[in-house]
Amino acid sequence: MRISLIAFVAGSALAASAVQVSAHHAFAAEFDVNRPITLTGTVVELELINPHSWIHLDVTSADGTIERWMIEGGPPNALFRRGFTRAALPIGSEIVVEGFQAKDGSMRANGRDIVFTDGRTPFTGSFGVGPDSR
Amino acid sequence: MSRRTQKLSRAVLVVAAAIITSNTERLPAQEVDDWTLSRTPWGDPDLQGVWRYEGATPLERPDDLAGRATLTDEEIAELARIEAERAANREAGLDGVAVGRSTLDESPIRGNEYNIFWQDHGRARQAYAQTSLIVDPLDGKLPYTDDARIAARRSDARYGVGPYESYLDPDTGERCLTDGVTAIMWQGPNGGHNRIVQSPGFVTILHEEYRDRRIIPVDGREHGSIRQWLGEAVGHWEGDTLVVETINFLDRTNYEWASIWTRASESLHIIERFRRVSETDMEYTITVEDPKTFTRPWTAAVPITRLPDGIQIYEYACHEGNRAMPNLLSAGRVEAGLAPSAN
Repeated sequence: MRISLIAFVAGSALAASAVQVSAHHAFAAEFDVNRPITLTGTVVELELINPHSWIHLDVTSADGTIERWMIEGGPPNALFRRGFTRAALPIGSEIVVEGFQAKDGSMRANGRDIVFTDGRTPFTGSFGVGPDSR
Repeated sequence: MSRRTQKLSRAVLVVAAAIITSNTERLPAQEVDDWTLSRTPWGDPDLQGVWRYEGATPLERPDDLAGRATLTDEEIAELARIEAERAANREAGLDGVAVGRSTLDESPIRGNEYNIFWQDHGRARQAYAQTSLIVDPLDGKLPYTDDARIAARRSDARYGVGPYESYLDPDTGERCLTDGVTAIMWQGPNGGHNRIVQSPGFVTILHEEYRDRRIIPVDGREHGSIRQWLGEAVGHWEGDTLVVETINFLDRTNYEWASIWTRASESLHIIERFRRVSETDMEYTITVEDPKTFTRPWTAAVPITRLPDGIQIYEYACHEGNRAMPNLLSAGRVEAGLAPSAN
């Protein structure tokens, strides 16, 4: 996929509002941007709830013990509209999560990027093809 | 509607009409020529369906487009090309600059908190002629009072910093209450979907986020006197245009708001106009007046899009899942040298 180099004279202004940014402030109050973290683990629970989804992940630590992490994702509603179901991220999936750890030091993080260990993304689907769109 | 309100409405409509005309001129000819407004069984214009704002136009005019109300045809075409490419890149699983986000070096938060796919709606954003949703004042900027501008700067400075020592410190949206009525037709943390449902004498707008709902009588009644968070909306038809006037808001300016310009006070007065112009397009204008926040009324013209039949809005049981609240309070305890909250 070609990535555009926006050379157009007004490109910066035109593209300035490229993505609607959530104006809610508290994210960085919950997670520590100075504590980036990469976790590889097994999905043990998927909570498709609002206002944020949560993925529960078993991560094997360096000493062999299993740590249960909770990963915060976005709201599920947009995914539903695109046909996302639990089958897209089954229990037992091996995933890699990149994000930031909770400020209180607990085993929670945001899931800024989530991919399967083979590099595929669990998030695929097209507008209006979901089971609820018929 | 008061005489003053009517005068205000007419003045802003002239500006809004000029902008909207330049938008609808670009609709395919077939859509404009062949389309007929459908009506409900009781004869009202049929506005029903799930609607959302799919435009790429920001609320306020970017500084480098100062003095320009509209883009040139070439710029519109370029913007449309950029947006189509970004949509394709999202579909291909790319993220970051390729989909129009800032880089992680610029900010790991402020729009970069989650994989883009959580909030991707699978459609390219539309390129419109207007350079800002705000069409009045003519500079395309919010006419904040000095006090409100200070409040907006303070709010921005608190981003992610807090303090977050009480449940009152997060904004009203983070508290699962509401983000207010002002932007309800064109934004929301989950995309800003609205389902419009009509029945004889009523138009109901169901907003996905926070389960906000507005049950708007269009049966000729006057406003009452009960103040509510979402105010009291009363509508009437002017030809095929639904006009909704909302007053009787509670003063909640003492709370934190995600955007100061959507906050409610007792003097907030909103007039909205809904006019369907094709099967998939609605001209929506909103005029906002509140001396507590703005030096003068302002108007936004927002082209909103009807999504295909079958697209649903879903419930938003925000309180139930709002773990951010205990988590950020726990973070606040740790930052204050206390033990984390027990889960």
